[in-house]
Parts: sequence; C-alpha cells; structure tokens
Amino acid sequence: MSTFHIAWRNLLRNRRRTAITVTAVAFNTGILIASLALMEGMRVQMLRSATRLLVGDAQIHAPNFRAERSMYDDIKDADSLVANVHAKGMLAAPRSYGFGLISSGAKSAGAMFVGVVPEAEEKAFELAREMASGAYLKHGAERQVVIGNKLARSLNADIGTELVAVVQAADGSIGNELYTVGGILKTVGEDIDRGAVFFGSDDFAELFVSAGRVHEIAINGGGADSADIVALLQPTAHRVVVESWRDIMPMVSDMVNMMGAMVALFGFVFFLGAGLGVLNTMLMATHDRVREFGVLKALGATPWRIIRDVTTEGFVLALVSTAFGLAIGVATGVYLNRAGIDLRNVADSSFGFAGIAWDPLWRGYMTLGDVVTSVVAMWAACVLASLYPAIMVARLDAARAMTHV
Amino acid sequence: MKNTILTIAGICLGLLSNPTPASSAELDAKQILDRVDDVWRGDSAQGKMTMRVVTAHWTRELKIEFWSKGKDKSLMRILAPKKEMGTTTLMVEHNIWNYLPKVKRVIKVPSSMMGGSWMGSHFTNDDLVKDSRMADDYTFEISFNGKQDRKNVIEITCIPNEDAAVVWGKIIVQVEQDTYLPTKMTYFNEDLEVARTMIFSDVRRMADRTIPAVATIIPADEPKESTTITYDDIAFDVPIQDGLFSKRSLER
Repeated sequence: MSTFHIAWRNLLRNRRRTAITVTAVAFNTGILIASLALMEGMRVQMLRSATRLLVGDAQIHAPNFRAERSMYDDIKDADSLVANVHAKGMLAAPRSYGFGLISSGAKSAGAMFVGVVPEAEEKAFELAREMASGAYLKHGAERQVVIGNKLARSLNADIGTELVAVVQAADGSIGNELYTVGGILKTVGEDIDRGAVFFGSDDFAELFVSAGRVHEIAINGGGADSADIVALLQPTAHRVVVESWRDIMPMVSDMVNMMGAMVALFGFVFFLGAGLGVLNTMLMATHDRVREFGVLKALGATPWRIIRDVTTEGFVLALVSTAFGLAIGVATGVYLNRAGIDLRNVADSSFGFAGIAWDPLWRGYMTLGDVVTSVVAMWAACVLASLYPAIMVARLDAARAMTHV
Repeated sequence: MKNTILTIAGICLGLLSNPTPASSAELDAKQILDRVDDVWRGDSAQGKMTMRVVTAHWTRELKIEFWSKGKDKSLMRILAPKKEMGTTTLMVEHNIWNYLPKVKRVIKVPSSMMGGSWMGSHFTNDDLVKDSRMADDYTFEISFNGKQDRKNVIEITCIPNEDAAVVWGKIIVQVEQDTYLPTKMTYFNEDLEVARTMIFSDVRRMADRTIPAVATIIPADEPKESTTITYDDIAFDVPIQDGLFSKRSLER
C-alpha cells in the first residue's frame, strides 16, 4: 500500500476530525485570499485616484511653477511637448491655472481656475466620469464650468447656476465674466473639492488675457512606470521639468508604499493565524493517536516511517483544504470585486483623506500572485505544522506511548 | 480715500483727541501721531486720484474717483482705463463689495480673500477696511529724532500690544521735524523683517491743507514693484448722502 493511500485512509478513518481540520484550513485560506484582495483593492483605488483621475503618471511644468503657481511661469512651446508625448505612444492633457474669486448671489469664494481641453482630458483621464451631477465640459460649449462639490455647496450652486468670476488677468487688468455650472464633481481630493473651477482653455485665455499660456501637461503613460516615463521625456524637454506623480504627491506616494507594506504585514498576520490554527489542529490530531503510533512503533515502524506517514497525511490534508480554500477565496474575491463593500452608511457620499478621494464602495482586487501566495503559503504551513507533531511522535518510546492516556 | 491712505497712515494713530496746540515746541509720540492723523481728518472727503501699479510683468494706471464719510464708509469708482471703467468698490465697516459693470453684478469679497490684492495693486483688501482702532493695539514711542538723509525727522516706533490681533510686528512712522508731515512708514512682519515701505512725497496745498499728494508703497520682497497713488483733486467736509454707500448705489 502506498504512503499516499495509507495517508488518505488514515484521514478518512476519523472523518469528523478531518472535516474540522479541512474546514479550518479552507476557511483561513479563503480569508487570506479575500483580505489580500481587499487590501490590494484599497491600494489600487488609491493609485487610480492619485494618477488616473487628474494628476497622471507624470507632469511637465516650468521650473518654478509648482513652487510659485505664478501665471507667468508657463511652459514655452507646449504644443510641441504635447506632440512629443503623443509620439511616444502616451496621452497628454495641457492645462492652464489661474486664481481669483468666484461668486453666486451673495456668496463668494476664492477659486483655482483650470483651463482644460475637454477632449484631451476625457481621452487621458477619468475625472469626467466622476460627476456628482450634471456633465463634464463638452467640446465647444462656451461659458460652462465644472466645479468641486464643496465649492458648489459653499456657493449654494447647482446645475444651471450662474457664477461670476473675478480675476487678476495676466496684463494686470480685472477679468470678469459670467459662467453657467454644467457639472459638479464627486469628491476627488481636498483642493479640487474646495476650490476648483474647470472650464475650456478658450474661456480661460479670455478671462485671464493669458494669450494661451499653458502651465501643466499631465501625462498618462498607459501603465508604464512613472520613473521610466520621466526618464523617457526629460531629455527631450528643454527649460521644463518632468516629474513623476510620486514627486508631485509625495504623501500619497508614501501612502501607496505604506499600503504595500501593510498588505504584506496583514498577509503575514493572517498567515501566522491560519498557520497556528493548522498547527493546533494537527497537534490535536496527532495527540489523539499517540497510542496508535506506539503500537506502530512496537510493530517495528521506524521513526522515519512515522514521520513520512504523518507529513504525508498533512500534505494530503493541506491539498484538499487549500483546494476548498481556493474555491472559497476566489468566490469571495470575485464577489468583492463586483459588488464591493458599501461604506455609504459610514461616510455620506465619498470621502477624502490626505488629499485623495475614496470611493465609498470598497472593491476587492485579486491578483494571481496574491492568490498563489495565499494557497502555497497555507499549504506550506500545513505541511510544516504536521512536521512538528510527526517528529515528536517519532521520538516517542513505544512502551510509554502505548500506555499514554 | 480716507480709508486707504488715511487708514494706512493712521494705522497706529487715529485718536480723536483735541487738536494739538501748534505752538508747542516739543510734542510727544501720541501728539505727533495725532498730527499725522489730522492731515487727512475730515467728516467726509471726495476727490480723484491716479493709481499707478508697477509689477515685474506689467505697468498700468487707473483713474479713480472716491468718496468717503465717517470712519468706515467709502466708495471708489474706476474712471479709466476703458476695460475697467465703472468698476466700483464699496467699503462699509469691514466689508467690501465690488460692482462689475461688464457682467452687471455685485460681489462681496469673502473673508478668505481679504489678504488678496485690491485691483491688482500692492494694497490688500484688508488695507482698505482696517480701521483706526489700531491705537488700542499699539504702544508707541519716539525712537529717533535728528538728521536722516539730509532731512530733520522724527521716528516713532509702534509695537503691537501682546494680545492685539494685528498683522504687523512693528511699524515705524517717520515725520518731518518741523511740519510733522509724514514722510515714510516702514512695516515689519512678525519676524521683524521689513515687509513693505510707504513713502509720502510731493507735499502740496490742496483743499486748504498742506498734504503729501503722492504715496508710494514698495513691497520688500519685490523692490522693483510699486503702487503709487497721486491725489489729483481732493475736497474735505463736503456733504455726501449716506445713500451713496449702499449696494443699490453701487449698481448705478
């Protein structure tokens, strides 16, 4: 009879004990897969919110612009830079920035005006999909603005509300104009929520008498690493700086990194918990059978034979359990990915933290790596956990083992 | 223009004391500051001025007509250039409203923007409405009395009281020794570094008073930039209807 056969029969001999162990290990494996998916989901969402909504993988500015935010620190020759980004197979959106006052009725607030090219934004970024109400800027729609939700609240503005903008134009004159609110954004980040007014680049040029000044080119590198994008673009860009989103949002970058570390840490804790559970079950199972092993030894079984039998049992048990666990975990993971966990009763609509937005629907994100790691880790934990009782038993004195109660 | 130059000049003065006897040879710090305040004192004022703003990127000149009444009511209307013609600023107590003729709307300057520039100049909105209660907020003493730059001047150092909610760490008011007319005011930030300097010049007879007709403000961090206000015409104690300082009159 093969060792596997013996192991299998041994497992079937005490079905209740085996069932308990299988359930415990399967459950732990499932939880490990699902929780890693949730953690990864959070990290992916953070990364998406950081780079896919508006900021991009990298940005181009005039050297002083990020520090001073001055209207006059613009990108010279922005058109050819955009063309250059396109030529490298990436997407780019040019933007202009200005500051001023926005008002509706008796309410007014300071605002950051962002002149955008709507088609370029929609192609390269996902902000246009983050509308709480109304619609994003349409091509050719004049005097339309899209504003942050907190700004809308403080101005008491809704779709169709007329807003007055008053700004200091680039030539020193006072620019003022009427606009209609066409859309209000969901929570996407504190600065945007509280003070951003997006409108067409032509409207921007007119309000600020800016002569088409461009202050920022945001780049969507289509999945390429942001450091590589910077390395690719910097040599071709003169008198401007190309920076990775990690330089632009160091806090978010740190958080994403921390999230990665947290996923690993939580994985380890779950793994430890599950491993200890398996170890306990295996120890109990072996302890139950001390007399049996004593008899085996008395009948001439070598310690090695006993170790082999017990670990094979662990191996088979782990195989069956993790298979179940894989099924449970993947099913939960798929569910978490599709349906997500609704946090809307915890946070009213969507909430911002550290300058980036969280979708109140927390979706899981399973990666093949995480699933394989979970299964292999739990399986290894099982086998290792059976090794310890196996060695203990193998070292037992046959006579004492047989009288063990 | 009471509330701009006047307030700025009277930033650590503004005591409604009895007129100081002109004959007295030696005045103390408080009396000198009262004298400075007296220069522009009036129940009301009306006139025209030219504001020239020089920045690193542009230079422009605004012609402005102004009315003021009491301590905290004033109205300024831009006469030129054409783009801003009719743009009007109303200041009542601590509030500022702007009327924009192009869009025919009145908007209130929110408190978050009070530190921002007024009409692109080096004056902040706050400068326009800060009242003369500064007298309560500062202690002052004569810190210099003698020759400086070939002129006989007296300098009064104004230090904010500990509990005063003020933006400046220190202000030095310089006046001419014999006339007590202000010549220079130096504003220091909370680290006691110079933040901006205001220079008064072109002393002239206007509306039966001798006053500096030109005031220039120079920000310390941009020494090549400046805002210069020149009084083209000024009249004191003219009758002005209270109704002028209302939101309704803004739109007219």
